[in-house]
Amino acid sequence: MRSRRPPVFLITAGVAAGLALAMMGNLGLLDAAQLRRGVLNTTEFVRGLFPPNPQPLPTLLGATLETLQIAYVGTVLGVAGALPLALLATRTVFGPGVTGPVRLLLAGVRTVPALLWAVVFVVAFGLGPAAGAMGIAAYTLGYLGKLLYEVFEGVDGEVVDAVRSVGCNRAQLTRFALLPEAANGILSQLLFVFEYNVRASSIMGFVGAGGIGFHLLGYLQLLQYRNLFTALLLTLGVVIAIDYLSGRVRRMVLPPAPAA
Amino acid sequence: MSQAALSAFPEPAPAPAVETVGLSCWYVPGRPVLRDIDLAVAPGSICMILGPSGSGKSTLLKVIKGLLPLNAGTLSLFGQPVAGRTHARSRRALERSVAWIPQHLGLVRSLTVLDNVLSGTLARVGTLASLVGAFPHTLRDEALATLDSLGIRAKADEKVFSLSGGERQRVAIARALMQHPTLVLADEFVSQLDPLTTREMLDIVQGIARTGVAFLITSHEVELVAEYGDRVVFIRDGRKIHEGAANAFTFASVMTLMGR
Repeated sequence: MRSRRPPVFLITAGVAAGLALAMMGNLGLLDAAQLRRGVLNTTEFVRGLFPPNPQPLPTLLGATLETLQIAYVGTVLGVAGALPLALLATRTVFGPGVTGPVRLLLAGVRTVPALLWAVVFVVAFGLGPAAGAMGIAAYTLGYLGKLLYEVFEGVDGEVVDAVRSVGCNRAQLTRFALLPEAANGILSQLLFVFEYNVRASSIMGFVGAGGIGFHLLGYLQLLQYRNLFTALLLTLGVVIAIDYLSGRVRRMVLPPAPAA
Repeated sequence: MSQAALSAFPEPAPAPAVETVGLSCWYVPGRPVLRDIDLAVAPGSICMILGPSGSGKSTLLKVIKGLLPLNAGTLSLFGQPVAGRTHARSRRALERSVAWIPQHLGLVRSLTVLDNVLSGTLARVGTLASLVGAFPHTLRDEALATLDSLGIRAKADEKVFSLSGGERQRVAIARALMQHPTLVLADEFVSQLDPLTTREMLDIVQGIARTGVAFLITSHEVELVAEYGDRVVFIRDGRKIHEGAANAFTFASVMTLMGR
């Protein structure tokens, strides 16, 4: 006779839902008065966004250009640091004495979010886009460093062994096996990180590190919702445009995914 | 001593290109993948290694090449022992004269044919020159001549991924030859070719062997052993269970060795 034990899935789902409800209570999300207030405020906020105000557009276009520069320079500087560190962290090239400390360094850098790095660089460089670019560069270093050493370690071991076995050194192995074999993976990760950095750069201004974020925060704090909506639409347009261009580059350069 | 008196002494036999005595290798202590392999391959000869899948054929080649550790026994290349930490420098020098063609060839697909072939010379070229692709003209000429002798000079500037299986095989042979090897270890390198191309490749191998280069080739192609090999070694479960002249080896011999 079959036992009538409840399925494991139902128990797991029940426990997960119970935990979520308890936490929602702690966070005030089950407070009916607060929820009602939230819905009313949101409605008021959304109503205040329309129609977007075109007046600050010239200022915002300049800020958007600055945002893109922060993202681009931050990405380039981050890549310049991430590429050599990723090679030093690659276990197929270096031993644990080198890869271990480098991986620890990359993990440490990666632990701090880009916005917090920007705060650090605002302290170091003062307010302005330079701090934003450095913040993006620092985060890119940690994040892309990890992505790249995983790409390098994904290179076919037989190719690495075959080139290594001719008696070359590590620099030659990198030039003649790792970089050409991993080129597509590297490019793919670069585009991904640049897309991410454009988004991240748009809020660098929240901490005084330049870009359109400064205006976004200002409009929000001064309750200038129509101006805010214009800035948000502009940011959205730029992000969509960058994603589209990045997709075009991928399709042009990278091989198509194999058919299922 | 007169010339006549000298000629009364027989010339000493040349040292084997590779000689192993009691060679053993394991990944996990107590579970050897290769046990007590005794082997000697004369210069300029072709030794075919046969055995079922998983018998240790590829592992044997990797141990001889130095890609896997020699856990027990001795290994000599051209009469010089290469095992042991004390001989690290001389071992590396000796290992450079041993070319290894892995099962899937280990070619860098996104590099050109010429770059792949030139990578066989990396141990002879300065690091900086090779990193910027400034190989000496003599090496470029030699690489092109090697490609010419293998019938694929016209493909020198093409990327490897655009080549056919037979053409890739020739590129792998050319890269091996650019090492100026005296021993070539080829791991089932004709296993994925059609019968006609397989014979073309083995004809090339036979021609190279006549110049004094020894070949150690793992294979499943029993019918080609007698035709192209000088010696045959049969391995099963990591042990050598047969060694003899290749010309007497038949499919019936394999069945006998497999106990069927």
